[in-house]
Amino acid sequence: MFRNYFLTAWRHVFKNRLFSFINIFGLAVGLMSCMLIFLFVEDELSYDDWLPEGDRIVRLHSAFLSPDRPAFRTVSAPGFWMDAISAYAAADVETAVRLVRTNQTIIKDEKVFDERLVFADSTFFDIFKLPFVAGSAASAFSKPMDFIVSEEMALKYFGRIDVVGETLTVCCVQGQEVDVRVSGVIKDIPENSHLDIDFLVFLDPPMFDFAPNILKTWTSVNTLTYFKLKEGATVEGFKARVYDWLDRESPFRKMTADAGMDGQPSDFIRPNVMAVPDLHLHARPDAGNFGDMRPMGDIRFVYTFSAVAFLILAIACINFMNLSTARATQRAREVALRKVLGASRTQVALQFLGEAVMLSLIALMLGLMGVEMVLPAYNDVLGRSLEMTIATNGGLMALALGVAVLVGVIAGSYPALVLSRFAPARILKANKSSDAEGSGRLRMLLVVIQFAVSIGLAICTAVVYGQSMYAQKMDLGFETEGKIVMRNFTSAPIAEQRESIGRELAALPGVESVVFSSEVPTDDNENNTGFQLLSAAGDTSANTEERIINYFSVDFGFFEAYGIDPVAGRTFDRSRGNEVIEAALEDNSIRRSASVVINEMAARNLGFSNAADAVGRVLRAGVYRAGPYDLTIVGVVPDVHFRSIRFGKQPSVYFVQPTNMDVATVTYRTADLPSLVSAIGGTWRRVAPNVPMDMSFLNDMIAAQYADDVAQGTLFAAFSGLAILVACLGLYGLAHFTAERRTKEIGIRKVMGARTRDIVRLLVWQLSKPVVVANLIAWPVAWYLMVDWLQGFEYRLGHGYILVAAVVAGLVALLIAWGTVAGRAIRVASAKPIHALRYE
Amino acid sequence: MLKMHNLSKIYRTDEVETIALNNVNIEINSGEFVAIMGPSGCGKSTLLNIIGMLDNPSEGDYLFFDENVARYSEAKLANIRKRHIGFIFQSFNLIDELTVAENIELALLYHDIAASERRDRVAAVMDKVGIAHRAKHMPSQLSGGQQQRVAVARAVVGNQSMILADEPTGNLDSAHGQEVMEMLQGLNEEGTTIVMVTHSPAHADYARRTINLFDGQVVTENLRAA
Ligand SMILES: Nc1ncnc2c1ncn2[C@@H]1O[C@H](COP(=O)(O)OP(=O)(O)O)[C@@H](O)[C@H]1O
Ligand SMILES: [Mg+2]
Repeated sequence: MFRNYFLTAWRHVFKNRLFSFINIFGLAVGLMSCMLIFLFVEDELSYDDWLPEGDRIVRLHSAFLSPDRPAFRTVSAPGFWMDAISAYAAADVETAVRLVRTNQTIIKDEKVFDERLVFADSTFFDIFKLPFVAGSAASAFSKPMDFIVSEEMALKYFGRIDVVGETLTVCCVQGQEVDVRVSGVIKDIPENSHLDIDFLVFLDPPMFDFAPNILKTWTSVNTLTYFKLKEGATVEGFKARVYDWLDRESPFRKMTADAGMDGQPSDFIRPNVMAVPDLHLHARPDAGNFGDMRPMGDIRFVYTFSAVAFLILAIACINFMNLSTARATQRAREVALRKVLGASRTQVALQFLGEAVMLSLIALMLGLMGVEMVLPAYNDVLGRSLEMTIATNGGLMALALGVAVLVGVIAGSYPALVLSRFAPARILKANKSSDAEGSGRLRMLLVVIQFAVSIGLAICTAVVYGQSMYAQKMDLGFETEGKIVMRNFTSAPIAEQRESIGRELAALPGVESVVFSSEVPTDDNENNTGFQLLSAAGDTSANTEERIINYFSVDFGFFEAYGIDPVAGRTFDRSRGNEVIEAALEDNSIRRSASVVINEMAARNLGFSNAADAVGRVLRAGVYRAGPYDLTIVGVVPDVHFRSIRFGKQPSVYFVQPTNMDVATVTYRTADLPSLVSAIGGTWRRVAPNVPMDMSFLNDMIAAQYADDVAQGTLFAAFSGLAILVACLGLYGLAHFTAERRTKEIGIRKVMGARTRDIVRLLVWQLSKPVVVANLIAWPVAWYLMVDWLQGFEYRLGHGYILVAAVVAGLVALLIAWGTVAGRAIRVASAKPIHALRYE
Repeated sequence: MLKMHNLSKIYRTDEVETIALNNVNIEINSGEFVAIMGPSGCGKSTLLNIIGMLDNPSEGDYLFFDENVARYSEAKLANIRKRHIGFIFQSFNLIDELTVAENIELALLYHDIAASERRDRVAAVMDKVGIAHRAKHMPSQLSGGQQQRVAVARAVVGNQSMILADEPTGNLDSAHGQEVMEMLQGLNEEGTTIVMVTHSPAHADYARRTINLFDGQVVTENLRAA
């Protein structure tokens, strides 16, 4: 008996190849998309979950507000906060650690590598219990310059893992090349962590005395600071204590009072505390979303992506059920016969259930194969190394199995319940398939839902994609083409030769100019200092309050190289005197003078409604590593998007400070780029053999800023494409079914004189209606969602674009639906009517 | 009105070849009432379908008003068909989703006729066949006799000059069968040409001429004395 059912099921699958294909393929695509998305979401949610007692580890962020400029928000905290807060909040804090990241050169067997070293306080392993491969926290991390490497780095430098006692040369610690002994090897930190540490160095605070800004100065914010809270302490409670400390005990209390500032320190400084497992995905209140060791995720993207997965699966399931039930009604005769021959209602019901579940299991198998096939490309786009194995993803697979069986059961239960109830005599006598009006309407409703979802996804995709194109194509206000950025001019031997290297590079054929600066576009670094505008009369008494403004150090020719023309005054001029900010003097009470160029926002910020009025005025400032200066504004330049457009533009001051320029911009115009690149490489190796060359193309750097957006857009597009494909498959199946079900009616209409095109119009219109209705639902929803989403961008597409996207998506959906239906309709409509009537 | 010359119809499927009509020669004049009789499977429906241009013959000529339509395409046939020919089927062939009035109107829908005129003509023909009070009903709510009356109404509403009826009384009891035959007779008296397939000798008696088919061939033609 089971055999008979099984055979019937198989024959049915084969006899209705088209339906079976649409059913199985659609569900397989749906399950595949869902599993892929789930893998990603699972990975995103797992960040730092593996850290022992991770929920007790918090990170301290800080933001510095100023009434006259955008807030300076950072994921770091001033270096001296850790000890002060640990002491003040001793009731909450078990222990704490600071991480200081520095880029260094590591030399091994004449080869040079650019690496990031992380200096950490001795408490590091009390907080982050990372497993060791060789050595232990006690043996390998207890004294200054203890040097731990990751497994990956051990392999990279020594080709083996057990490398304790081996030596590496680091350039440069305090300007010196030093040999360090590897004291321990840790397991590689998993990819799903916000921590990314290849080299861990024991931090001995006196080591940083040469650079007081790192650990001691309050205005400098360079350390990632973690606290491990005592059991029972809460993040909120600890945060409250930090605020207490800030307002009652911290040095800021005195500073604000001395400066005569209105309010408490916490009005200007906003510390924030976040649990480490939340760091990857959750927006940081009052902190920047940059400055992390690894790119951060976005919980909204995780939600959106999960929703997309759910929608695709829903579409696929709707298809499966729609087509299964549509088909089943045509099998009323088979059911009736089986009942006449003695089958019980249960047996008939089980038969249908079994068939549907069989199909859905086949779909699941294909879906799993699809995941395996697509995963490499998917990982490529996402920049991950996700895997799907029974061992690690058993839960997900069980879930997929559950979903597949459930879909099968739901799809099978309509025919199982409805058909098995039919009185056989009625069906056999009526000699026709019975399809209740109601189920037809339900089917159309489901098609409406599918298309509404598909169209909505398509609109959202178009807007997301459009926004990312818009961001990339936006005029940043400066030239981005034909520029190579070179770094690593910080290291001592190179720093001295900076100018001569610059001249040598400039002399290479094809090079138009070489300019140095403290930052180049896309750099996330931010320098701020207080500037005080002196009165027009030029008197030296401070008559305005100080404003904290972002500054850049740039070379002569910088604005020219980037094609930025002043809107008032001039740019820096090498032929004039008094342009440059010189190195610090022994006596730092001597005030010197130099020139500055400011941007339009800074001019407005300083109170000039007309940029030209700013020219000639003087800003007084204490320049870092230079001392007190009176800076004459010689020109005003337009505001440019120096950083990613997500940050917007800021008021900025530019000056020429040769001691603070360690990035070179090489502007070139050449037909033979490879030769130029190798010539630059040759020059570098000759002049600085011990320093790795770090060069990149500016437009690549700018594009890289949008890489995440592009990846998101690509995935979004791919998945909504799949959703639309599955929905269309469903519509095609339904068109087929409708045409078949209406064969008799079509025959009659033709006998009555209907032409092919009358019939085609009838069928196409019937199947277009749900798509039209779907548009009416999808448009307002997509509009609402996208208006809201675009709100998150400083520079965004106009809302008109959403409308265009909606109209286009709607029309395309309609065209696709027509294309899907029309072929079928024409076939049916042009057949001789007698065929239709004869086999009624 | 129509003339068939050496007309054959052969159905070819994968394995079997069925000669449904074999060298048929017949002529039917305007205003005639012709009955076609013969055992099941002898080709009656096939003949009627070819007369009605629902299908093409395999061989031979079919002159309809002196126009040889034997090889016409479906589109061309449809055009002639809708102007001249009305159909009545054994299984009524009404569209289940449309009301009685809408089913009748169908025969006018694909002609260039204004909606108001369509309504008037449908109303008139419903009166004539006596189903006006059922105009808004669905076919499934009617008895077989009533359904066939709707089919007759549909066949004549377009003022077709010829009506083809394939066993119009096959699904009806004798009283209702009688009714339909009387309606057809009435139409014939008004000048409509009628060609009807039937198994009932009594119903064949309404016709002036009977064509007997056997195995796809015309065996006898009887003329009833006027
Ligand atoms: N579409 C078709 N394909 C194959 N054979 C057909 C087809 N239509 C009719 N036949 C065959 O042609 C013969 C005549 O059929 P038909 O005209 O329907 O007979 P009748 O109406 O006299 O009962 C039968 O043998 C039938 O099986
Ligand atoms: Mg027949």
